[in-house]
Amino acid sequence: MINKSLRVVAATLMLGGASFVWAEVAVIVHPSAGFDALTEDDVARLFLGKSKSFPAGSPAVPVNQNEGSAARDKFNEAICKKNASQYKAYWSQLVFTGKGTPPKDAGDDAAVKAVVAANANSIGYIDSSAVDASVKVVYKIP
Amino acid sequence: MKSNNPHRKTRKLALAIALVMAAPLTLAGDLDFSGFLSVGGGMLDDENSPPYGDYDEEDLTLDNNILGLQVTGAVNEKITATAQLIARSENDYEVDAEWAYLSWQASDAIKVRGGRLRTPFYMYSDYLDVGYAYAWITPPSEVYYLPFNNVDGVDIYVTKTLGIFDTSLQAYFGSFDDELELGGVPSEAKTRNQMGLAGTLGKDWWTLRAAYHQADLTVDVTGIPIGPNLTIGDFASALEALGYADNANRLLVEEDDAVFTEFGLNIDTGRFVAAAEYVEFDPGDAVLSKNIRQYVMGGVRAGSWLFHVTGSQAKDEATHPEAGIPPNQAVPIFGSTNVLIGTLEAIAQSQVVERDVVSLGVRWDVASSAALKFQYDDVDNKNAGDQKVYSVALQTVF
Repeated sequence: MINKSLRVVAATLMLGGASFVWAEVAVIVHPSAGFDALTEDDVARLFLGKSKSFPAGSPAVPVNQNEGSAARDKFNEAICKKNASQYKAYWSQLVFTGKGTPPKDAGDDAAVKAVVAANANSIGYIDSSAVDASVKVVYKIP
Repeated sequence: MKSNNPHRKTRKLALAIALVMAAPLTLAGDLDFSGFLSVGGGMLDDENSPPYGDYDEEDLTLDNNILGLQVTGAVNEKITATAQLIARSENDYEVDAEWAYLSWQASDAIKVRGGRLRTPFYMYSDYLDVGYAYAWITPPSEVYYLPFNNVDGVDIYVTKTLGIFDTSLQAYFGSFDDELELGGVPSEAKTRNQMGLAGTLGKDWWTLRAAYHQADLTVDVTGIPIGPNLTIGDFASALEALGYADNANRLLVEEDDAVFTEFGLNIDTGRFVAAAEYVEFDPGDAVLSKNIRQYVMGGVRAGSWLFHVTGSQAKDEATHPEAGIPPNQAVPIFGSTNVLIGTLEAIAQSQVVERDVVSLGVRWDVASSAALKFQYDDVDNKNAGDQKVYSVALQTVF
């Protein structure tokens, strides 16, 4: 009985989540970064402009994927707790006040990986399947 | 109240263009453009009742538009130049540089700016014109009523994480000159020694805000007619001639110590949103009323829809420019001091707004950068008729 209920719940979850992309998203930095992990809060603070440096103190330059990418939507929902329009509204509150500039849109998985691999201060996110030795994973969004 | 000094506008525009032009010379190609647009309009339920908001007709007019363009150029790694050019339908789309400033990022946490800045009176002051950034078409006009939104001066903006809280503090000093339309006549208005502090304390989904501002406020009210062939200026001269110089002084707005305070709360959990603000304006020794204004808003998001309800209130208190004049005394021309007292009381009372408004609104995010909004305002004027207003706007950022 319990098993059956669980199966129903699981099936419902699968259906409910069918429109989402289940792929894991990895938050990546340059391999030379002096740390191996960040918390969800650390990452959120950088991408919401609340902090401009890594917890260790070195300056951080966050880069986004382009609007509409599955990884970006998943990252915004999971880390920034905002859907695409809320994210846009949040940044328009800062942009038009001179109080902040949103992370640049750097492109897709490959483009963001290339930017992060080439810049010691960068932080980005890509689909886990695209991760290779050119970058270091410091947080994973399951 | 409308700003209508073409000369100053031209000068401001020239300044802004110069600023914008200077940036590419210093560092060609590194200019950031961003902009916002709001197009919309509305209609009243009853033209025979006092108009409300930006509308005065029973027929739908779609002429309440704002276009803004912001240009930011990096002068060097630490210094940027920003200009915001705004064209409003209510000003016949005259382009106005509402902001133009140089910004120095002194450290990660400290930013110093100089030029024309937005005065941080309210929680939404910074992005007042960017409707896309909030739920309403415009924030409640009971609270968002001050005619001066900008200041020429310097400010320092500091952000800091205190324990688990995010805090910010903004302090500024400056002055402002504008031309307002009061009682149908243009009048010069200015602030001197204007200064203020605005602080926020927040965490994840909530933010508290408090602000304090003070200024020496001068508004030329002398040309405002209060009767046939009688202006406030004439009446003040008469009071002075009759020996009531103190009362004449209270009638005029000349370097009066004005104080404005604000408290705000903002909540956004993703599913639920809420906001509340309370403001008080103390005109000092001037005939302007003491303004006590507030609103509370609550809303819920469902997919790309946001439904919200707002209650706002203006509950001003009249000042007493007549205080000190003895009643029932014979005076030349006016006959009795009672006439003076009555006139002063009437002028003070004319500055009082007492109003309750309930607004229902919907925001629909039709795309990631565009929101379509509808709003219904039910206006209850205490000493005048009621009104209902229907409005719509499409607001975008780019």
